[in-house]
Amino acid sequence: MTLVTVRSEGQSLVEGYRAVVGDGPIQVLEALARRLKGHRIAMVNSTASGGGVAEILHRLVRLLNELGVPTTWEVMPGDARFYAITKAIHNGLHGWPARLTDQDHDYYLQVNRRAAQSLALDGDLVLVHDPQPAALAELRRRPGQHWVWRCHIDLSNADAAVWDFVAPRVAAYDAAVFSHVTFVPPLPVPAYLAPPSIDPLSDKNRELSDSEEEALLDPFDLPGRRPWVTQVSRFDRIKDPLGVIEAFLFARRKEEAHLVLAGGAADDDPEGADVLAEVQARVASRPDISVLLLPPDAHLVINALQRRSAVVLQKSLREGFALTVSEALWKRRAVVASAVGGIPLQVLHDRTGLLVRSVEGCAYQITRLLRSPELRRRLGQGGREHVRDNFLHPREARDYLALFARLL
Amino acid sequence: VNPYDAEFELHGVVHLVRPTGARAHDLEELRVGIAEAPARSLFCHTRQCQLRDPLGPELPPDDFSAWVNGVVQDRETAERLSFVVLSGGASAEELREALLAVLGRLSESARRARDAPAEGDLVFLTVESVPLPTGVVARTGPELLEGLLEAEPSVWFYHLVEQPWFPDRPSLVVWLLERGADRIAGWLREDAAAGLPIETMRRRLLRRWRRSRLGQRVGEAATVPEDQRREAGRAAVARLVRRIQRTDGNG
Repeated sequence: MTLVTVRSEGQSLVEGYRAVVGDGPIQVLEALARRLKGHRIAMVNSTASGGGVAEILHRLVRLLNELGVPTTWEVMPGDARFYAITKAIHNGLHGWPARLTDQDHDYYLQVNRRAAQSLALDGDLVLVHDPQPAALAELRRRPGQHWVWRCHIDLSNADAAVWDFVAPRVAAYDAAVFSHVTFVPPLPVPAYLAPPSIDPLSDKNRELSDSEEEALLDPFDLPGRRPWVTQVSRFDRIKDPLGVIEAFLFARRKEEAHLVLAGGAADDDPEGADVLAEVQARVASRPDISVLLLPPDAHLVINALQRRSAVVLQKSLREGFALTVSEALWKRRAVVASAVGGIPLQVLHDRTGLLVRSVEGCAYQITRLLRSPELRRRLGQGGREHVRDNFLHPREARDYLALFARLL
Repeated sequence: VNPYDAEFELHGVVHLVRPTGARAHDLEELRVGIAEAPARSLFCHTRQCQLRDPLGPELPPDDFSAWVNGVVQDRETAERLSFVVLSGGASAEELREALLAVLGRLSESARRARDAPAEGDLVFLTVESVPLPTGVVARTGPELLEGLLEAEPSVWFYHLVEQPWFPDRPSLVVWLLERGADRIAGWLREDAAAGLPIETMRRRLLRRWRRSRLGQRVGEAATVPEDQRREAGRAAVARLVRRIQRTDGNG
């Protein structure tokens, strides 16, 4: 079964968002939905759980349906070989060394061809996320249908050979959407910009009571006395968990603190276990570092971890957008993050957080923040307002609906 | 058919942002980029940025002066660019001319020397507008004004900032003039030309509108029965008390 069933019980998302962002942005969504009356949207990606894209789709699909725009979500079926190939494509597009053979190309197209036959793709507009299902447009376009490719990856340093394979797939679309202007490669189709967003109502971001936080964190036996420095992200080399440990150990020479590295592995990421093993070997038995392997549905735990942290890190080497940054900013946390990918859109240096470019810079800013509660408070407040205005789901839904209205 | 005979529907707007493909690494490339930019690109970098912080008390900085100030770090040129963006340009061509005049004060070699660090290029963007009917339809000037006071920021932006640049639909101000609502039209035209933030425009319009109706309200109140006047007085005092309590609570 490839059709994802999106939870729809509980409070209306529309009304929930209205309470957070105010009436104006919701009126805009409702007006856009009226313009799209009579049209159906289909979303396609490669996983229903794990990773930022699946999280966004769970809420976005429900929101569009609540607004009266019938929207379905299908997951492209794949196997271990396909995921290994698409992981190599993913890494190559991020600028990491990747070697794809002709057989890999053939297998990628073969799996896409099977998916083109098995998926319903029943929409006037089909929005395809990321490179895994990118060949569907050339294989399955119906007359009158519009196809849009949504790229969540930073293509600014993409491996040329990998992009040469992906680019003809993208050329079959009517438009492409990117998270940041620097991610946009030369393309024969119109490119639009739309940063992704977080859900202020989700378990990962909603307000928690003190007792809820304690109950959620109690099983992990984390020290209550020392301030926590936390990075939440899947165990992936591009998130630089070893660099995080190194920076923390530098800062630790100056200030008392405890490092929490928390994350899981996405279904379509076969490298996660290797990276986790490297991290655990590096940490060994240090009492001031905790490595937490979390299941994909540990949203409340992540929420509590971020809220209890004095400093939240995102020391990635490459990024698509790094939604964990917006999550931490939304919770008024002081953030130290690498100036890569979409992070500088979220972290405006010294206004909403601190940008770094090295292990030493990261260590320096961690130390500064641990020493200054006032700096943490000021950055946290600025971050909250910045995310409310720019990086919550209603704004992303608005961008998609406006594009659909333009195309349909 | 005179389009201004019809009812007027307020519209909001959403902007789809696209890269144009042009970039600037130094002030000379900025000059060339501005000279060649489509009108919608100039609009994106100097006007549309207002909607990035629509409720703010100040206009957000325009992209050109923000880049020259923060990345190139030529504070003097950035100041001059900020000034012409704020003060000039009822059209893209007028603004383009003013921006080029500022950059033209520097020699070409000086413009080349003032450059961005690696990965600090300005990327030129453009916007495609998706106008959205709000369903709020006015037949008279006062009706339109009441609707506008309740409208979300993009409605103000669309009618008062964007339309004067791209007059592809009947203008709100001209429609008001055709309806004989000269005073309201004058207020809106004046505030829009001053380049005020949207929330400031809204507050000023509300103040002017209330003040203009003061005489009318006093006249109407004189004909109201005594018990209703007392009731209205009590309600006004209660509102005032609530406002004072809120102020105390916040402060």
